[in-house]
Amino acid sequence: MSEVMQSPAGIESRRRDWASLMDPSDRTLAIWLLAPTVVLLLLIIVYPVGRLVFTSFYNLSLTSGLPAQYVGFENFELMLEDPVFWDALWNTVLITIITVPGALLVGLGLALLANLPFRHRWPVRLALLVPWALPLAFVGLIFAWFFHSQYGVVNDVLARFGGPRIIWFNSPQWAFTAICLAIIWKTSSFVGLILLAGLQTIPRSLYEAADVDGAGRLRQFFEITLPLLRPAIVVALIFRTITALQTFDIPYTMTRGGPGTTTATLAMYIHQNTVSFLDLGYGSALAVAMFVLSMGVTVIYLRIMGRGH
Amino acid sequence: MANLFTGMPLRLIAAAVLLVNGLFPVLWLVLTSLKSETELTRVPITWLPDRATIANYVDAFSDQPLHIFLLNSFAVAILSTIATLLVSTFAAYALARLQLRFRALILSVIIAVSTFPLVTLLVPLFETMRALNLLNTYTALVLPYTVLSLPVCTLVLVSFFDGIPRDLENAAMVDGCTRLGALFKIVVPLAGPGVFTAAILAFVNAWDEFLLALSFNANPQIRTLPVGITLYQGEFAFPWPVISAALVAGIVPLAILIVIFQERVVSGLTAGGMKG
Repeated sequence: MSEVMQSPAGIESRRRDWASLMDPSDRTLAIWLLAPTVVLLLLIIVYPVGRLVFTSFYNLSLTSGLPAQYVGFENFELMLEDPVFWDALWNTVLITIITVPGALLVGLGLALLANLPFRHRWPVRLALLVPWALPLAFVGLIFAWFFHSQYGVVNDVLARFGGPRIIWFNSPQWAFTAICLAIIWKTSSFVGLILLAGLQTIPRSLYEAADVDGAGRLRQFFEITLPLLRPAIVVALIFRTITALQTFDIPYTMTRGGPGTTTATLAMYIHQNTVSFLDLGYGSALAVAMFVLSMGVTVIYLRIMGRGH
Repeated sequence: MANLFTGMPLRLIAAAVLLVNGLFPVLWLVLTSLKSETELTRVPITWLPDRATIANYVDAFSDQPLHIFLLNSFAVAILSTIATLLVSTFAAYALARLQLRFRALILSVIIAVSTFPLVTLLVPLFETMRALNLLNTYTALVLPYTVLSLPVCTLVLVSFFDGIPRDLENAAMVDGCTRLGALFKIVVPLAGPGVFTAAILAFVNAWDEFLLALSFNANPQIRTLPVGITLYQGEFAFPWPVISAALVAGIVPLAILIVIFQERVVSGLTAGGMKG
């Protein structure tokens, strides 16, 4: 605490003034300044997570009107035997392993294009920002209209090239494809913005040196661009993965999980059990599963980040 | 050979790809909103409207209380932005300026919170808000949204505060200004761009959130825009022209924000970037 900051010897005396003026109250002040953050985190994260774990061991259904009853691991046993849970979990995992690499590839392409020396940067920047800023629920609705079987622009373009007329939302596979395309479109521009910032930190001189050495564009990409972009890629991958596991808005607005429950995600199943069925005990058990899944990814993330630095 | 690749045609193609990819869906939405119901249900479909009409916009506001949804979204987004800014300014100042033994730990906790799955809070928060009779109130959303944006705003502000020379505050404090006075009279004004960046990120986060808004505030008078717009769709019917018009109305405030402040948004995203 006493070691204030490293500063040149020239302002040593002023530093001591400052330190003696502020040091006694620094600790108290810090506590007061951090108090609102701590209170909010306790109230909105720590307490609810505790409550969540607690409720997951209880039979608490608000429709029955009965008081909560301790049932041990019954909710979790129910969950493991529930085919809809496994379907929802599988859909969530599938969305993650399709849309995360998908958004990364498309985002990398967008970033490479956006990094070209344009005379005016703002139209390109705007084109990357619009998909980022749009609410996910809006994107779901927009793409549901895109993929409309009769009046949708996607089928219109397909027809112009002699393709088939696909009834997107009647088949689980096509509905799932449409959802994944919407998610990749929405999220690739965020990835693109992060990677573009990464690209802009790579010194031009590296490429000039490679040109002198006679390395081709492709070799330059794999031996300069990709390795130096690695930190930005890791950051984008992790945040994308964590948000992909929570996918709700786009499938909810596009298909409501249909046909049947074939495109329902874990988040949608949690929402349904909690808000529609008011079965808080079972909803909590599902949310605990989601929590474990997410924390697993975060731990892997912190490991990778820790190794990177 | 190398010059060929950085030449004009490639740049034109690249710009076209980026613009079509980023803007076509919104452009298509605007075109749809200007077409009449009969034109929209014609096959093959038209691309440009035969006769542009604003009837869908009139219907969007009369079929559902769209102006109330807009008002609710503004209220929730502005209230949570103000709350986030206050809380994160305090926290960021403590982290950037005061000698904290646990600075690294606190920063890690804040980053960990940013990866926290909001979905899992749905059940306990629903239970708590219901017990406290807070369902269908702004509070039910403002509190979680404040926490949602807290990590990114704190990180952005810490990086901006770090860039402001301490001498200015020290001088003010030698002249009798208190530490908190120096924070609000010297540091916050100098970190204006950073505070503004944090504000835009918090606003967009709140404007876009759907799951909690759908779950906590189902009452039509208190619905935010994304939730309200999904309710235009009936059980079997999707009134696409009206939905398109309502969506455009919801995009206009966002579009204004990002057109004017695009550089700020990009710098904020890349400084603390965590929304996708």
